[in-house]
Amino acid sequence: MIVIKNKTQMKTKKAQMKIQQTAFMLLAITIFFVLVGLFVLMFKMGSMQDTAEILERDNAMSLVTKLANSPEFACGSVFGTQKVDCIDADKVMALKQNSAIYEGFWGISNIEILKIYPGSEENVECNIITYPNCNLIRIKEGELTGYSVSNFVSLCRKESFEGSPYNKCELARLMVSYEAIE
Amino acid sequence: MNTMNKKGYLQISFAWLFAIIVGIVIIALAIYFVTKMVGTQDTIQSAKTSKEIGILLNPLETSFESAVTSSVIFPKETRIYNRCDNYGNFGTQKIEIMQKSINNKWSKTGIEASFQNKYIFSERNSEGKTFYIFSKPFEFPFKVANLMYISSASTNYCFIDAPKDVEVEISDLKQPNLKLEEECSEEDIKVCFEYGNCNIQVNYDVKRVEKNNEEMFFETDALMYAAIFSDKATYECQLKRLMQRIEQLSNLYVNKEDFIGQRCDSNLGGYLLDLKDSAVKFDDSDGLYRINNIIEELEEKNKGDCKLY
Repeated sequence: MIVIKNKTQMKTKKAQMKIQQTAFMLLAITIFFVLVGLFVLMFKMGSMQDTAEILERDNAMSLVTKLANSPEFACGSVFGTQKVDCIDADKVMALKQNSAIYEGFWGISNIEILKIYPGSEENVECNIITYPNCNLIRIKEGELTGYSVSNFVSLCRKESFEGSPYNKCELARLMVSYEAIE
Repeated sequence: MNTMNKKGYLQISFAWLFAIIVGIVIIALAIYFVTKMVGTQDTIQSAKTSKEIGILLNPLETSFESAVTSSVIFPKETRIYNRCDNYGNFGTQKIEIMQKSINNKWSKTGIEASFQNKYIFSERNSEGKTFYIFSKPFEFPFKVANLMYISSASTNYCFIDAPKDVEVEISDLKQPNLKLEEECSEEDIKVCFEYGNCNIQVNYDVKRVEKNNEEMFFETDALMYAAIFSDKATYECQLKRLMQRIEQLSNLYVNKEDFIGQRCDSNLGGYLLDLKDSAVKFDDSDGLYRINNIIEELEEKNKGDCKLY
């Protein structure tokens, strides 16, 4: 009777061992596939991030070449005939006052216009007090962050001499910045 | 006789049976995740394409030109869903793309690319591989935006008895799906400027477009094309968005006038505030003629050395 009992116990232990082996194997396989899945997911996320950043850059690059012609910036026929890549500085100063309304309108983080000719030694940011004796118009407050792309434009404004108005145009660089995607 | 000793009996150990079951489960899971991955990839691709279309529209911003045209060719059959809403300061232009997947089914993504500075006029859903985009500036009385008209290459528009300037513009554009009377065929969508049996009827004097038994009113040719290429809901929604932009631009010009007041006084503030007020109150295209009176006054006053726009 005792011998039969021992034999049955031995068989049960052997089966338990086999189940344990299979369970460990399964666990290993599952962990392996989970790791592979995570790796694939990380790779995909990385490429999605790259794609999003490329799209942001493309948007900024295509926008910077045409932004000067959009109604909020363009000179229109204020300074004589219609001009291409001409920015109305007086209008941009008004836009700066309304920058909160235009938040997210162009899908970029900030816009800067830097007067480059005639040049000056240091940058003076334009505001109601300093304008027009300044050389940097920043639509939104704060430094440019992320990446930026630029284009050359003419920056025109109305001036007055002895009570009669005249047009003054200078050379400037229009800079459009976009955020890096993290 | 023990059944185990029967001839032809298949002996499978517990380990084998277990491995087969687990194998099937793993393969089923793998197939499930691969299918999901392909679906996600389709969604990513469609979202990317929607955004790309928006970016492709940037170069269509005009400067001197009265109108420009361009085309977009997709590698596979594509549906462009044009959506619009009026929330916020400028409303939103939304584009959703659906492309045919490997199993020839349309992959619904539900992901829309949103733009505040774009105005696309088209049918709510356009289908095809090639799409033509034609852009024209909308001035009312200052430049408000560039309007984009999207149409599938498989849909031809035939302009019959169009006024001379419209004929010249269509012919100069050289957009293959926009034809004049002599080039038209039976299947084309007929756009008539005189009364006739046509799909779209344009009354150039009353400034009204009749399409699908619905009326849309316009001012300027830019809005006439907008009414021709889009359905009423899209047209009215985008027109409302244009009024939202007019409201903000009027505000900008009022601020500009205050800003340059000492150097150059244009005295347009009152008219601009009237325009802003009318833009705020704008409901639908029926009321366009009321704004047009203010526009005419503004055009008359914006002259001389101190022009505002």
